[in-house]
Amino acid sequence: MRKLLLASSAAGLLAAAANGTAFACDPDFSGVELTATTQTGPYIASALQIAAKGWEEKTCGKVKVVEFPWSELYPKIVTSLTSGEDAFDVIAFAPAWAPDFTDFLAEMPADMRQGAAWEDIAPVYREQLMVWNGKVLSQTMDGDAHTYTYRIDLFENPDNQKAFKEKYGYDLAPAKTWKEYLDIAEFFNQPANNLWGTAEAFRRGGQQFWFLFSHVAGYTSHPDNPGGMFFDPDTMDAQVNNPGWVRGLEEYIRASKLAPPNALNFSFGEVNAAFAGGQVAESIGWGDTGVIAADPKQSKVAGKVGSAPLPGVDEIYNYKTKKWDKFDQVVQTSFMAFGGWQAAVPSSSTKQEAAWNYIQYLTSPEVSAQAAITGGTGVNPYRLSHTTNLELWSKIFSDREAKEYLGAQKEAVTAKNIALDMRLPGYFSYTEVLEIELSKALAGEVTPQQALDTVAEQWNKLTDEFGRDKQLAAYRSSMGLPQK
Amino acid sequence: MTRNDPIKHFFIWPALIIVLLISIFPLVYSLTTSFMSMRLVPPMPARFVGFGNYADLLSNPRFWHVAGTTTLIAFLSVGLQYLIGLSVALALNSRVPGEGIFRVGFLLPMLVAPVAVALVARQILNPTMGPLNELMTLFGFPNLPFLTRTSWALGSIIVVEVWQWTPFVILMLLAGLQTLPDDVYEAAALENATPWQQFRDITFPMLLPISTAVVFIRLIESYKIMDTVFVMTGGGPGVSTETLTLFAYQEGFKKFNLGYTSALSFLFLIFITVIGLVYLAVLKPYLEKHK
Repeated sequence: MRKLLLASSAAGLLAAAANGTAFACDPDFSGVELTATTQTGPYIASALQIAAKGWEEKTCGKVKVVEFPWSELYPKIVTSLTSGEDAFDVIAFAPAWAPDFTDFLAEMPADMRQGAAWEDIAPVYREQLMVWNGKVLSQTMDGDAHTYTYRIDLFENPDNQKAFKEKYGYDLAPAKTWKEYLDIAEFFNQPANNLWGTAEAFRRGGQQFWFLFSHVAGYTSHPDNPGGMFFDPDTMDAQVNNPGWVRGLEEYIRASKLAPPNALNFSFGEVNAAFAGGQVAESIGWGDTGVIAADPKQSKVAGKVGSAPLPGVDEIYNYKTKKWDKFDQVVQTSFMAFGGWQAAVPSSSTKQEAAWNYIQYLTSPEVSAQAAITGGTGVNPYRLSHTTNLELWSKIFSDREAKEYLGAQKEAVTAKNIALDMRLPGYFSYTEVLEIELSKALAGEVTPQQALDTVAEQWNKLTDEFGRDKQLAAYRSSMGLPQK
Repeated sequence: MTRNDPIKHFFIWPALIIVLLISIFPLVYSLTTSFMSMRLVPPMPARFVGFGNYADLLSNPRFWHVAGTTTLIAFLSVGLQYLIGLSVALALNSRVPGEGIFRVGFLLPMLVAPVAVALVARQILNPTMGPLNELMTLFGFPNLPFLTRTSWALGSIIVVEVWQWTPFVILMLLAGLQTLPDDVYEAAALENATPWQQFRDITFPMLLPISTAVVFIRLIESYKIMDTVFVMTGGGPGVSTETLTLFAYQEGFKKFNLGYTSALSFLFLIFITVIGLVYLAVLKPYLEKHK
């Protein structure tokens, strides 16, 4: 009898445990192992790994994150996609590669494209960067837009305010236009005090062209001509040497003269170091600058970090009329530099349901919010809730810093005039040509117009080599324009 | 087993096939690729273009520019490495006090990974936080554009190369010096030969074979320079410090232009072979003379 009781109890416990497990696995992906791939960590890979742990606990599935160096990631993914092999269930990739991948990606399930979590994704991602030819083929897992960062203490110093107004005739405040941005940089460029005006990336291979694009976006992204910043979306003729680009490049070069010595060797890492080291009064770049500069362990200016959207312009070059159009109000153009890492599921994956469920968990408001405030994940805000949860961000910012930072981030992804980054097959062939000429122009070896004329000639040549019609179709898709 | 025993084929052929597969196949594959237009990005079907890639490269001013830059870096840095290396090796060979410590100290740079050396150099030459410019500022000198002006950037790369690889030259020449017979020097001393005469007529000629080998090895290695340039300047400003290998990397791993990159690799191989042959041909009479 005693044995029977023990056996019954044991069976009951086992059944309860089994039931408990079943309840814990929601949905139940027991026995499913996903293979996710991205670049070597910590950036992005650590976000995938952190989410993998949570997803495994929730669903009883497994996720293996396979990392490749940046230079090998593209060929690894493209080879597996084109050969149709079931190598990866989830791929996390740079948006510029999307044109080469989209034919091989599974569409996002309909149930993921509805509800509060879906609506919470900033429209520029939800409606443009995740969509290719009308289909949602990827999920943004990182937001990437340039914003403006400035030193609150320097800007609010009464002596600085007085001297600035005397010299420039208007109040010292976060730059509203690119002209003001350069005025402020010039005013604070005081090498004798170990202080310089601004910091941007100017180094070839050091993200330099995205900083140029931010300058140029304001002068070339005409609200009436969407998608005309890089190429004419009707003919695919390069626009890179039009007067809007030339002005943007001239101002970018001017900024380099108001930056710390040898700034021509700055990549984005040095920009962050210069700002956090208290060497510059303002800078532009991704959201990392604000986060790093607010951290007392890494920064000399913690507590003094102000943020704002990118400066704007009051005239924009119209490539159709070939004239500058004046605007009564300043037009603030947000530039989606890089565009944010995308997560997608290859059509060849045999575990698509689990893969999309993992992506849904990875990019859920709660999990992604934690990633956004965790240093080293490389995840910047891309959901509206990321930019409204002050309590979350108060862990790393003061109240004012958090309000300004989140305000700038929100403005960057919800601005009326948003310029999308270039996404084209052969992206690096185009950007390499630009980088070389850009470096020559920065070094004063050629004029901005000469540099950009060369780039335009080379871009047109590349377009012809890759197939003009094919490139035009890809460009229109990347800019959210209907096919011709 | 006799010389004509057919069993020898059983032992020789497997090894020979493996060697051929490992060493020859990649070369043949790469050579074939160099005659094709083959791009991974955007994916385009491969097509035969004959010598098209070679013609494109030879008519590309960037190719000649990077070849010139690489040659400048290689010849200047190896020349300096040899001069400094020989001087230090002679000093160490004369049994100075604490020679062991000096020897270990001089060899350390060679043991550090080039990428780490380049990172350290980049930090030292940092315009605002680097100790070198801080020192300059302290003495009232202006900040110097170490990595952002062509001449300074090339100079910086050469200095780093010399710093890192002179120890190799020291090591080899010191080994050579220690094998030179003492009796020749004793005879020279009896003839009242001055130290300079001993160096000019005994040490240098007797060291010539090993000097030739050391310079040859360093020259070939210097032509392959990439990591130092990649980290310190990224090939900039513009393309002014770009080297042949960095150019190949840009074409191969950024643009995935495989046919073009293979052609570039073979031109690089031809370039190095020609330089090596010319170098050995120039030195041959001297080597024969001192045999």
